[in-house]
Amino acid sequence: MRISADMIFWIQQKRWLFIAFISGAILYHFVPGPASLSPEGYHILIIIFMTLILILKEPVPLPAIALQLIFWQVILGGSTPNEVGSYFMNDAVFFIMGSLMLAVAIVSQGLDKRLALGIIRFTGNKTWRIVSGFTAISAILSSFVGPHMVTAMLLPVALTLIKFTSGDAKSKSGLTAALLFSIAYGATIGSIGTPSGGGRNVIMMNYWAEFGSGSLSYLEWMKLVYPMVLIEIPLTILIILKTFPPEMQVLDTAVRRLIVEVAHSGKISAREVMTIVLFGFVLLGWMLLSEDYGLGSIALIGVFLYLAFGLVSWKDLSLGVNWGVILLFGSTISIGVQMKNTGGAAWLADLSVGLLTAVIPNIEALRAIVSVALSGVMSNLLSSSATVAVVGPIVLNLGGDPILLGLSSVIASAFGYFTAVAAPACTIIYSSGLVKASDFLQAGWKMAVMSVLSLMFIALLWWPVLH
Amino acid sequence: MMSKHSLINPESLRFLTAVSSSEFSRPTLAMGSLIASVFDASLGVVYVGEKANEFHGGAVNLTRQNLETWDIIHPGLDVLKWALQELKKLNPENTDLAKIQFNTDHVFEEDGRIKIIMPDKEDGRIELILREGELVDQLRKEIQLESYDLAIIGGSQNKQHLAHSIIQYLPSSVFVLQKFAPRKKYKLLLLVDDSQATAKSVEWGALIAQKLGWPVKTLTVSKTKLFGPGYQGAADMAKAYFEARNIDVEQHFITGDPVSTFVDFAGDDHIVIMGASTLNPVKQLLFGSKPIKTLARTDVPILIVR
Repeated sequence: MRISADMIFWIQQKRWLFIAFISGAILYHFVPGPASLSPEGYHILIIIFMTLILILKEPVPLPAIALQLIFWQVILGGSTPNEVGSYFMNDAVFFIMGSLMLAVAIVSQGLDKRLALGIIRFTGNKTWRIVSGFTAISAILSSFVGPHMVTAMLLPVALTLIKFTSGDAKSKSGLTAALLFSIAYGATIGSIGTPSGGGRNVIMMNYWAEFGSGSLSYLEWMKLVYPMVLIEIPLTILIILKTFPPEMQVLDTAVRRLIVEVAHSGKISAREVMTIVLFGFVLLGWMLLSEDYGLGSIALIGVFLYLAFGLVSWKDLSLGVNWGVILLFGSTISIGVQMKNTGGAAWLADLSVGLLTAVIPNIEALRAIVSVALSGVMSNLLSSSATVAVVGPIVLNLGGDPILLGLSSVIASAFGYFTAVAAPACTIIYSSGLVKASDFLQAGWKMAVMSVLSLMFIALLWWPVLH
Repeated sequence: MMSKHSLINPESLRFLTAVSSSEFSRPTLAMGSLIASVFDASLGVVYVGEKANEFHGGAVNLTRQNLETWDIIHPGLDVLKWALQELKKLNPENTDLAKIQFNTDHVFEEDGRIKIIMPDKEDGRIELILREGELVDQLRKEIQLESYDLAIIGGSQNKQHLAHSIIQYLPSSVFVLQKFAPRKKYKLLLLVDDSQATAKSVEWGALIAQKLGWPVKTLTVSKTKLFGPGYQGAADMAKAYFEARNIDVEQHFITGDPVSTFVDFAGDDHIVIMGASTLNPVKQLLFGSKPIKTLARTDVPILIVR
């Protein structure tokens, strides 16, 4: 058979798929599992190993990665199809699905123009105040509604301000970076504040319930974590302004033109009022009723109401939601549960503790470091939610207080400041084409140091008081 | 060696120019525009942007939809808008082109890419296309979809890696405009040997020399002092082909390592034309080929004819 350039190209494009499956086959057939690990646990770890390669290198579309997770669990993992299916859909997946739908429903209402006006009225035209306003509003809003919705609404405001500022791209690169990173980093630091701030928070809550590790209510979560958000807001502003000093101190013309632009939208409409009121109900439901009904069910009630009131069409929802991501979270959570059930998670936890005991003799500190380091590093490579789905079961098997370790892991998974991959807000601003990958590194390491110190501060001084 | 029938149909040529930004792509677009106009070829202008991480693809799409309500367009569309303006400036006499207006309402998705429909345009002469993903993969898909004859791309920082992928995997002839200066006086340097691809290279060289009036040199390199009948015959046929079209040609025969000789001879004032390798693709992948090595080592524009 003559090998054509087409075939070579195809093989090159798919090489990581072959590498993943061939190394999986070698591990399965020729490398015996550790004696201290059950065969099922070993097989689950092989599946996770293959899946991590596929997620990192993306030789196949994301939904395909989700599908292979499902069938490998049945073929290699020793699970029955119904078992895999039963873990596949749960409150965390409902929540992720619901919050993605809510984002589509709310963003399409044009409330961003009102938000822009509100921010500008509050901050005035001084650049540092605008950057501060963007950071604070992004953080606070994202802590309740999630970073993707906030970034989708605020990015147009920032880009409009940049467009209305005179000068070419080079002459306002500092301003551009400062405004965009204020949204991205603001939304990212805020996303840990409440359970509804991100899918990963709900995934961890789901693991706590599934593994019998305890639980936290919405308000208890806020009490433990929100102070960290409040500490990080001013520090983030400082880091952004120091790293990307804006060329202009005042954005007088740009602000005036922005006000004229958004003023065209006229008085607030009944539709917009209804959108806000419905979301207010969802938020109240999350705060007061989620312990009984779950965050996911309440999000779905919200989606139902938006559809019932005609505020969004099913066509818009089905086109706007990335169903592949929902499929992937369902399958990742199901493998996370299997990792726990087969002993794979406990084995990995023991291994990491065993390897590092000689270096860090204090077991409490060791657990915290493993939890934070594992989540922080992986979130820069995968995404924060996928990180928690995979790392969560390991962290909860480290021993110690599963609630506090789980919280540390979730918080650290938001430290994906170094790349455009980790957090949705970072990917969104990167897609504008106005910030470079090197900008993330330039500011990211400072954000990471600041965030680790903030986490240590609340973990050592605040949590012992409350928990 | 030379076919009795022309291997290129100059009446229906289709060129594709890849642009990345207004800052770096001006020379590439200028060359694309120049040769498309002298060949009267249709010209596709493609922007290949980075694809958003699939995890957050939904969020990015949601943001882009919202940005449209603020009249802020995709950064790639901005580059294509610039490219259209630039083409108008480069072809002031083209009244049909002057009529074309860039309109983001006329953007539609088709075959995994975004295409700008230009209702005012002359049929099929200019296409603006936006793709997202890995550069070589996307260019390859575009070339296959629209059957382009020639892809014109700028030089890259990541030359070693790209040289291999571009030459081996793009299914058309490729013109890589490394350090191309539109106002510089170039000479064509045609590399001639006994390979099948030489015939088409000679045709391309003759067409370009005729249309642009650039002087031509042919270079035949042998590893030994003996130039066999294959090499000698190819060089003579090439000379005869040029002379039949009233194109002056200088012939050069040099003994040495082919790639080093090509690179040294090309200096910085030639545009190199050479045929694509006919080596087995696996051998090319493992050991490279003359075009791959030449592209990786030289800094002048190079046209690889397939």
